[in-house]
Amino acid sequence: MHEAKRAHRPPRLALLGVGFAYAPQPGATETSGNSAPSAVPSAGQGSPAIPGRQVLSGVDLAVPAGAFVQLAGPSGAGKSTLLRLFCRLEEPQAGAVLLDGADIRELAPPLLRRRVAYLQQTPVVAPGSVRENLLLPFAFKAAAGEVPPDDAALVALLARLAAGDIPLGQEAATLSVGQRQRLCLARALLTRPDALLLDEPVSALDPESARAVMDAAESYCLDDGGTVVLVSHAEFEPRRVSPQLFRLEGGRLHPETPAAEA
Amino acid sequence: MDAPAAISVATSVAAGATAAASSGVLHIENWRLALALVFSLVAGGCSLALKLGLGRDIAIGTVRTFAQLFLMGWVLGWVFQADSPWLVMGLFLVMAGAAAHTARGRVKEKAVRFAWPMYGGMAAVYLLVTVTVTGAIVAAKPWWTPQYFLPIGGMVLGNSMNSVAVALDRLFSDMRARAAEIEMRLCLGADAAEASADIVRSAVRAGMIPAVNSMMAVGLVSLPGMMTGQILGGSDPTLAIRYQIVVMLMIVGATALGSTLLTLIIRRRCFGPGMRPLLR
Repeated sequence: MHEAKRAHRPPRLALLGVGFAYAPQPGATETSGNSAPSAVPSAGQGSPAIPGRQVLSGVDLAVPAGAFVQLAGPSGAGKSTLLRLFCRLEEPQAGAVLLDGADIRELAPPLLRRRVAYLQQTPVVAPGSVRENLLLPFAFKAAAGEVPPDDAALVALLARLAAGDIPLGQEAATLSVGQRQRLCLARALLTRPDALLLDEPVSALDPESARAVMDAAESYCLDDGGTVVLVSHAEFEPRRVSPQLFRLEGGRLHPETPAAEA
Repeated sequence: MDAPAAISVATSVAAGATAAASSGVLHIENWRLALALVFSLVAGGCSLALKLGLGRDIAIGTVRTFAQLFLMGWVLGWVFQADSPWLVMGLFLVMAGAAAHTARGRVKEKAVRFAWPMYGGMAAVYLLVTVTVTGAIVAAKPWWTPQYFLPIGGMVLGNSMNSVAVALDRLFSDMRARAAEIEMRLCLGADAAEASADIVRSAVRAGMIPAVNSMMAVGLVSLPGMMTGQILGGSDPTLAIRYQIVVMLMIVGATALGSTLLTLIIRRRCFGPGMRPLLR
């Protein structure tokens, strides 16, 4: 098994006994019963967050460096929440989240999020051109001293995502969803993250864009040594990697055996 | 409801008192004051005829107008006589508290707690602006002379209270509406301030615009309260406009300072530990 080889090294990402419940609705009295809690749709998540609902309980997960982990499970099972815990977009009520063996709370959040890049389910572009969008991560204090890539590098990166035909000067808002998702993935890769968190990255995309995004994710893992945690409804058929499969259900994580892969 | 009335009361009563002291202003006898109730009846009639359902509010509003203004007139008379800086400051802080309370009530967001920074920030900013006006520009001696300090302070509060409410309401609603955009920037390594810079800018802008626009219309469309009060009181219009110019500029300054400071302070409260956006 792989674990034996890597035993001396802490996993790149890990969850230790993580418990998570949505915050109770502000102002609401805390009742334990099912007093018809109202569902609040939350940004970037496919399923509504019901205040006070326990989503994860005692979840352990170790993702070795360079691994490709795929999470499946019914909607509302907490797959997005689990991803968001790794970059502190959610805070667990119990347990700890580790990056290379250290609690992620020890890192300044901007630095953490550059190392553990989270790609939102619905691609979000900033106002401005494709170029401005790609250079956005270099506009923040966390990137002080870094040299932004030149146009040639940006074009090469887009080409890797089968998006080399998009002019850098084009308004990002005019792109199709598929193009925007590729732009967002390219932008996330520009900060050279250690890990990539993909939240249903292809669910809204045309097959061509979906293939380009997944190929890029596989290449990031295999060629660049990056770590990938993918939430997906299994419509993704990997070409080169063999993902470690997990199923999230009832607040717990269950390993799954891959369906007959060489 | 209380605060705008209380504040504008302070303003007009005090301005009136100042004016009345300077020259003979026509006295409104009780029965003539009662005659003004005709206007309330007209409003009530409209409500009745068009089934607006405002009758109750008009009645309550009329009673409150009488009660609050008579009370404020009495309080001001007492404070003017007592001539104590502590009393003047105390009344100013009560007015600032009422302004903050009103502004807070106009902001619909309930998930973020912002009452105390709001009270503190508004009191501090408006005190600074008022002291600057009475101490340095009008050069009242002493600077806390209630006839100057309270009406000017009241105008600062009454006018910029709205700007703070508008700015904060905009801040919170944009934080929610543009949550995905904030999150996108955070995920690219922005800190909380960088991720919400655009939103803060448009919130402060929204708060300031009415005050800036009012500078365009003043004198052409509107003859503002203080100037009107002074003219009614028999002041030379050329002196009244000098006061009004100071008032207009001070309101713009107070609006800018108040909405900027409070938006910046309260923006921080929209993020939890780990720069995690709380509104979405």
